[in-house]
Amino acid sequence: MKLIIDGREVSAYPGETILEVCRRENIFIPTLCYHPAFKGQGVCRMCMVELEDENGNRRMVASCTYPVQEGLKIVTFSAKIDKVRKNIIRLLASRAKGSDYIQDLAGQYGVEPLDLPGLDNEKCILCRLCVNACKLMGSSVLAAVWRGIDKKISTPYEEAAEECIGCAACYEVCPTGAIEMKEENGQRIIWNKVFNLVLCQHCGKAYATEEQIALVERKTGISLPALCEACRSQNLAGRLKNFSG
Amino acid sequence: MPEIIDATAIEKACKEILDHYAPEPRYILAIMQDMQKRFNYLPPQGLKMLASYTGVPFSQVYAMASFYKAFSLKPKGRYIIKVCDGTACHIKGAETLVEQIYKYLQIRPGETTRDGSFSLETVNCLGACALAPVMVINEKVYGKVTPADIERIIKEYGGWADEGKQC
Amino acid sequence: MKENNVKEKGCTKIMVCCGTGCTANGARQVLARLEEKLRGNKNFEVVPVLKATGCNGWCEKGPLVKIMPEDITYCQVKAEDVDEIIEKTLLRGEKIKRLLYRDPQTKEFLVSLHQTDFYRKQKKIALRNIGEIDPASIDDYIERDGYKALEKALKYMTPDEVLEEVIKSGLRGRGGGGFPTGRKWQACKKVPRFPKYIICNGDEGDPGAFMDRSIMEGDPHTIIEGMLICAYVLQAEKGFIYVRDEYDLAVKHLTQAILDARRCGFLGKNILGSSLSFDIELVRGGGAFVCGEETALIKSIEGFPGEPRDKYIFPTESGLWGQPTVINNVETWANIPVIILEGGEKFASLGTEGSKGTKVFSLVGKVVNTGLVEVPMGITLREIIYEIGGGIPNGRQFKAVQTGGPSGGCIPAQLLDLEIDFDTLTREGSMMGSGGIIVMDDTTCMVEVARYYTNFLAVESCGKCTPCREGLRALLAILTRIVKGEGKMEDLELLQEISEVMQEASLCALGRTAPNPVLSTLKYFQDEYVAHIIDRRCPAGVCPELTVFEIDAELCTGCTLCQKNCPVDAITGEAKKAHIIQQDKCIRCGECYRSCRFRAVKVK
Ligand SMILES: Cc1cc2nc3c(=O)[nH]c(=O)nc-3n(C[C@H](O)[C@H](O)[C@H](O)COP(=O)(O)O)c2cc1C
Ligand code: SF4
Ligand code: FES
Ligand code: FES
Repeated sequence: MKLIIDGREVSAYPGETILEVCRRENIFIPTLCYHPAFKGQGVCRMCMVELEDENGNRRMVASCTYPVQEGLKIVTFSAKIDKVRKNIIRLLASRAKGSDYIQDLAGQYGVEPLDLPGLDNEKCILCRLCVNACKLMGSSVLAAVWRGIDKKISTPYEEAAEECIGCAACYEVCPTGAIEMKEENGQRIIWNKVFNLVLCQHCGKAYATEEQIALVERKTGISLPALCEACRSQNLAGRLKNFSG
Repeated sequence: MPEIIDATAIEKACKEILDHYAPEPRYILAIMQDMQKRFNYLPPQGLKMLASYTGVPFSQVYAMASFYKAFSLKPKGRYIIKVCDGTACHIKGAETLVEQIYKYLQIRPGETTRDGSFSLETVNCLGACALAPVMVINEKVYGKVTPADIERIIKEYGGWADEGKQC
Repeated sequence: MKENNVKEKGCTKIMVCCGTGCTANGARQVLARLEEKLRGNKNFEVVPVLKATGCNGWCEKGPLVKIMPEDITYCQVKAEDVDEIIEKTLLRGEKIKRLLYRDPQTKEFLVSLHQTDFYRKQKKIALRNIGEIDPASIDDYIERDGYKALEKALKYMTPDEVLEEVIKSGLRGRGGGGFPTGRKWQACKKVPRFPKYIICNGDEGDPGAFMDRSIMEGDPHTIIEGMLICAYVLQAEKGFIYVRDEYDLAVKHLTQAILDARRCGFLGKNILGSSLSFDIELVRGGGAFVCGEETALIKSIEGFPGEPRDKYIFPTESGLWGQPTVINNVETWANIPVIILEGGEKFASLGTEGSKGTKVFSLVGKVVNTGLVEVPMGITLREIIYEIGGGIPNGRQFKAVQTGGPSGGCIPAQLLDLEIDFDTLTREGSMMGSGGIIVMDDTTCMVEVARYYTNFLAVESCGKCTPCREGLRALLAILTRIVKGEGKMEDLELLQEISEVMQEASLCALGRTAPNPVLSTLKYFQDEYVAHIIDRRCPAGVCPELTVFEIDAELCTGCTLCQKNCPVDAITGEAKKAHIIQQDKCIRCGECYRSCRFRAVKVK
């Protein structure tokens, strides 16, 4: 099907979102809660674009969740869109005073955080990428809990979760550095849980937690050689790589 | 209903509740309602059982339990005082009632007296706005409550054991 | 007495209102006493029938007892009055003056509720049975043409004809959005996927609105019948009624109604011998305002936290478990049987161009007659507040009405003659919402009202999207500092800008309408904001940090009422002499200010 994005005709497939099409066409739309590995969530609202109807009336929609339709006319940048994005960054910067990433972003957008009684040193912007990553890993120990302005990301009761394997996928995917992880003395501490790290037999680097390896073994029935990813792919030409998830 | 504290008894009671429902996510809400009614809160053990029974991750069950106001994650008092802070009650002085209750029971909304007799909550409109301000203790509705009535009402329930002298 | 009762199966009916308001005022005791005294009473040839009805709407004057067919209404009845009622009215046909309503203007005693100003202007469609029937009795419902519309539809109309009738009626959803009901059904009918689901939204989260509760408690079968008619149109087999958690009585009556309907063959397989099979399941909500939003409600039924999703694909196409779903409000459903029975055109003859029929409003706040009223669309606010509502009590001055629930707006005195319907309210920066009308007088602080709603929404928002969650956090912080006297003039621009972004970018209608209380008070009551910021004074005497109360010795009669009401004993003075407020003790709760009948308490 055909769409018109910023006056340019672009082709798209049914089932795609506006954002997916734009990414493919290299049309820039800023996002905070989108990651190609997951579905669009419509959470951060940075990706708002305008749709224009036959009469030239415009309305705003989230491009990461809006499914494309034949002949859609899309505007990806306007004064109104700019105002929305700046204000979203301003609001997030007022919330996440502790996140360098968000504060830098505020600088780039030329906005100052509001002088509000803040959440002390908060870093999280509740984009939920970690929740999605955890789910994809099959653990699902993280969730957005409570509601309204008290919403937060947490494990049940904020305690060490049984199913957590310490894979750090959440840590990797978090854009703001909000998830704390410590590695020392051969141990990894994340989400209030302590894991023993396993060292690569080949290069000596800590490459996974015992729980992670146990999970792979349980799921696949294959006992893996204790090698880090780099060494393993060297050795095994990537065949076992599929199991690391 | 007598309070249940020991783990095997909780497990047994939860199992009874679960047995009423098919193991599907759509009954989570109903099961939680039953547990809340049975224990006056949702015991962590019960939530764990609920998660494995319905096949839903524990984290998601916990997210549900914390999202909905009908559930509490901590045990509640024998008498639950609900002060309506719906609009009609609010503009007729509901906040003063909350202040008065604090004066007598030393609890704020969301808290329980140390002796476990009273919990205080504010709620959003009990549908009796014509009688605003409204307050409910367990099932009993009190309409057109004035701050001066609070002492008498709390005494109806025996006041608070620890701070009995106050009332 | 008997002669004129033949129609009513030859006996007198006594109907005790057992709505929430009357129950709180002791209706159950009255009912019990009547039951006890009437059972096997030898003085009657035919013992009168006793009924516990749903809410008559006039909670202010409850408990109400109606005697039919004489059409006598007694107000504020106590258990002690029962003997006299039996003795005088039921046995001898005399009226008891002291229990009748006395019109405050004409001083006349009015025999029937229906003669009062509160009722005369009303036109009952959705509420037609409430107060007239025992909600626990399916026979009562059937006696008043219940399930006749269903029969008419199934036996004499095709699904398309039924749909046509609903479209013709012009009925728009009563849950807030005002979407045309017929068009919604049509959209769902077009989707060629089955099963389809039907949902009744009984979450009623607006604080200050209780019409849905009243219908669910007082006339549960009308909801079932409405849903059945829609099921016939859509060929749906399964429906859900989602009831707000706090509504115990509604759950009880609906449960009973569903069981009775099944027993009588209105629910189940091959209903009334037709090909229609339909059943209804009751779901208790978990207590979350946002679950009134339809996509959140669907999530909630599915067993998830009630977080809305972007509605770029409507539930009519992909709703419950991804299937085509029609979701309507309780009051919307209650109108359906009447539309089918009497025709869409008749319904459309009431109301305004864009909003047909009647609307139930809950009239509360600073108004003499509080309660539920059903009036034709297009009535003015003035008629509702002054003619039906009897004006503002205690000789106070009207300031504003808040309509549309927490994310509605405040409408000032200069718009009292606004003819209210979906479109006029939206135009003036408020909305219909579920139909709450909260009257505010000069003792209500508009900045505090904005802060109150913002706080409500900040807690009740699902917290999923940035503009709503962080926007509300910011608005709340700014409003809080203004009511504390720490505001700056720049704050007003900030409120405006954040509000606009929330309207544009929020995911669901909660966030998009959440700034309404702020924007409408900024628009109509900016002077109050300025008074808080510049003069450090709350003109309404509400915000404790910015208020000092004083008693005007000239006006004070020493009635001691304020002294009795003061929770902290801050008022001193002897009876019949002017009283004094001790400022060091005063907590500025405003109890004296609101209750003084001589308006002697002043805001400094
Ligand atoms: C925040 C929010 C709360 C809502 N609450 C309710 C409610 O309590 N009851 C209701 O019927 N509709 C409510 N609605 C409207 C519903 O989303 C939906 O439009 C309505 O149930 C559709 O029925 P109707 O067309 O019959 O009005 C709410 C909407 C929003 C955005
Ligand atoms: S607008 Fe508010 S209630 Fe709606 S999805 Fe966003 S956070 Fe949730
Ligand atoms: S990327 Fe679309 S809302 Fe975050
Ligand atoms: S606002 Fe308190 S009962 Fe409705």
